[in-house]
Amino acid sequence: MEWRHKNLITLEGWTRDELAFFLDQTEYMEELLNRPIKKVPALRGKIVMNCFFENSTRTRASFEIAGKVLSADVINWSSSGSSASKGETLRDTVRTLEAMAADAVVVRHEEVGVPDYLAKKLTKASIFNAGDGTNGHPTQALLDLYTARQKLGNLEGAKMAIIGDVLHSRVARSDMQAFRKMGVHVTLSGPATLMPENTASLGVGYVSDAREAAEGADILYFLRMQRERQEDGLIPSIDEYHRRWGATESLVSLAAPRAVVMHPGPMNRGMEIASSVADGPRSLILDQVRSGVAVRMALLYLCLGGVR
Amino acid sequence: MILLRNAKIFDGENLGKTCEDLLLKDGVVARRGTDLSAEGAEVFDLGGKTACPGFIDLHVHFRDPGYEWRENTESGAWAAAEGGFTTVVTMPNTDPAVDDPVTVEYLVARGKRAGASRVLPAGCVSKGRQGKHLAELALMAESGAVFFTDDGAPVSDAKLLKTALLYSRDLDVRIMEHPEEPSLSAKSQVNEGAVSAASGMKGCPASAEVIDIQRGIILSRETDSPIHFTHVSTELGMNAIRQAKKEGLAVTCDVTPHHLSLDETYILVSRFSSAYKVNPPLRTRKDVKALWDAVADGTADAIVTDHAPYHMDDKDVPFQEALSGIASLECAVAVVLDTWAKTGRPVPLERLLELFTSGPAALLSRPWRSLGSLKEGSPADVTVLDLEAIKRVDVNRWKSKARVCPWDGEMLQGWPVMALVEGRVVMNRLKDSE
Ligand SMILES: [Zn+2]
Repeated sequence: MEWRHKNLITLEGWTRDELAFFLDQTEYMEELLNRPIKKVPALRGKIVMNCFFENSTRTRASFEIAGKVLSADVINWSSSGSSASKGETLRDTVRTLEAMAADAVVVRHEEVGVPDYLAKKLTKASIFNAGDGTNGHPTQALLDLYTARQKLGNLEGAKMAIIGDVLHSRVARSDMQAFRKMGVHVTLSGPATLMPENTASLGVGYVSDAREAAEGADILYFLRMQRERQEDGLIPSIDEYHRRWGATESLVSLAAPRAVVMHPGPMNRGMEIASSVADGPRSLILDQVRSGVAVRMALLYLCLGGVR
Repeated sequence: MILLRNAKIFDGENLGKTCEDLLLKDGVVARRGTDLSAEGAEVFDLGGKTACPGFIDLHVHFRDPGYEWRENTESGAWAAAEGGFTTVVTMPNTDPAVDDPVTVEYLVARGKRAGASRVLPAGCVSKGRQGKHLAELALMAESGAVFFTDDGAPVSDAKLLKTALLYSRDLDVRIMEHPEEPSLSAKSQVNEGAVSAASGMKGCPASAEVIDIQRGIILSRETDSPIHFTHVSTELGMNAIRQAKKEGLAVTCDVTPHHLSLDETYILVSRFSSAYKVNPPLRTRKDVKALWDAVADGTADAIVTDHAPYHMDDKDVPFQEALSGIASLECAVAVVLDTWAKTGRPVPLERLLELFTSGPAALLSRPWRSLGSLKEGSPADVTVLDLEAIKRVDVNRWKSKARVCPWDGEMLQGWPVMALVEGRVVMNRLKDSE
């Protein structure tokens, strides 16, 4: 397959075949990671800039390792404080990155649309969205998809329940796109105050009762809950949330026999997920982390032209 | 003396079927008829184009005083002329805000000095737009304020709005309300619905608009005082106003070219281009349809641009950081005419022209109401339209200082080609359009 994507801003434009091809590539990459000497020259001489305007040790380290394994030079661009999130500085940053001849820019930002903005401004470099506000986190979706496929095989027709604060979750948005594209039926559950107004427009179902969503599901995906939602007045208490939508053993027991439990991390143990579930036999939470590096290797490799 | 020959004349109500001439003399329409001649008059042959009363825009932001790098009275007045508007009403959300007679007089003088379109200032409802104390409404009216509004935001306090309605009732100057309930719209970036769901950005629900409209209607009924709602964007909002009109209340409203032509999907399709960020946000296709219904049945009284000029630094940034507003004075008429033609002419042309002329004129204070007519003796304000002209929007040729516009580069059909203010030619593109 000829790889036609230079950037990854959103998975919206990817076809199912492209997703499947990508996941196959990820498998090769994971094999590389299992070797005693984890270094290949695929991207030698390429410069990858990690621009994290918002902290995320995990995603940043994952991109950094991915680049280094492929022999790219990875530079962590640090922005000084909050002023760097202002557009004017962002425009200057763009010029600097262009002048420094970056081949790829990995960007994480607290605001929606920043990767789109960079992609319109940067003519040469590839842009990878490592999370933009509440909008998207496509590499997380790819690693979730990869992990689930590893465990469950073909995902066509599988049932997935995404439970928690969907309204503010970029992970949920990207996962809905990716899993639906692979033929998975997605149902959301959580307090109505933490759901987007118009779930039908997203092509997914919604049930308030988490037990109904979990019933017979193959994938139970629990989202991180922010304490500030209680301060925002969107939920009455953390305790009430835990009782109604938390990942407890009794909730998980309603799912299909082969069901897996996923979570994007970092977890609030006890709050949205009980430790017995997080560390239990169905949990893929650590597999997700491991898959992350392989997914980002495949991404850099394909989009930076390593395929030829 | 100016003689305009061979035009289909729209007089504010009816559009003539055959070509006629107009003689403009001493700043007024001296004669209308066929085969007019006048010794020493400058003659323009309009070749069958449409001559209308000068177009009136009740809602523009000229950023003067305080933000003149974005726009000032002079650049704005020339942009208005270029866009075919001969009269504009400037919003008072400047710094300082236009909340006293001196600032009103300053703007009137600046407008006159620009020598382009007529600039009529609106004054604030409350001092400093703070929503606490009534501004000097009567003194501002004497100095030339033609509306009172805290635009940019609603009048924040219901009691204050009621007081303002009562106090302004016999001043012959209307209250213009920017309908928005802040507790529902706080921090919103887009319409609440498909785009907020897909992007995760905070959505502004239709309720934020209609609740404030209902508040205004209730207070207008109670005080027996007129109220005008600006940039109404939702079906629910229009339904509320339609109902109030049926009841016979003095409730009026306007719509913008962008809400008549664009819906929320443009934000996703453009991958979050800040050119589409506006307050109230672009709504659904159903709302757009409802606005055209309101144009058709008379619920809408005027089309206003809400021209919101910004500097590049305010707009050439990621969507969430961008300020809200669309700059459109110079292409707004074309946007409306083009949309009208492309959607199969959903309303008669007369109806559309009314919303740019006699509709808004009727909402101005008494001395300006004759601006909506081309009868003999009316002010010689004329806008000439070429309904066939097809031209590309090019922001680089704008007189406005703003450079971000969602229609930049687009070919639109139907353009104003000439504008006269009190018999002075302030814009003439007759030659280009031949
Ligand atoms: Zn407004």
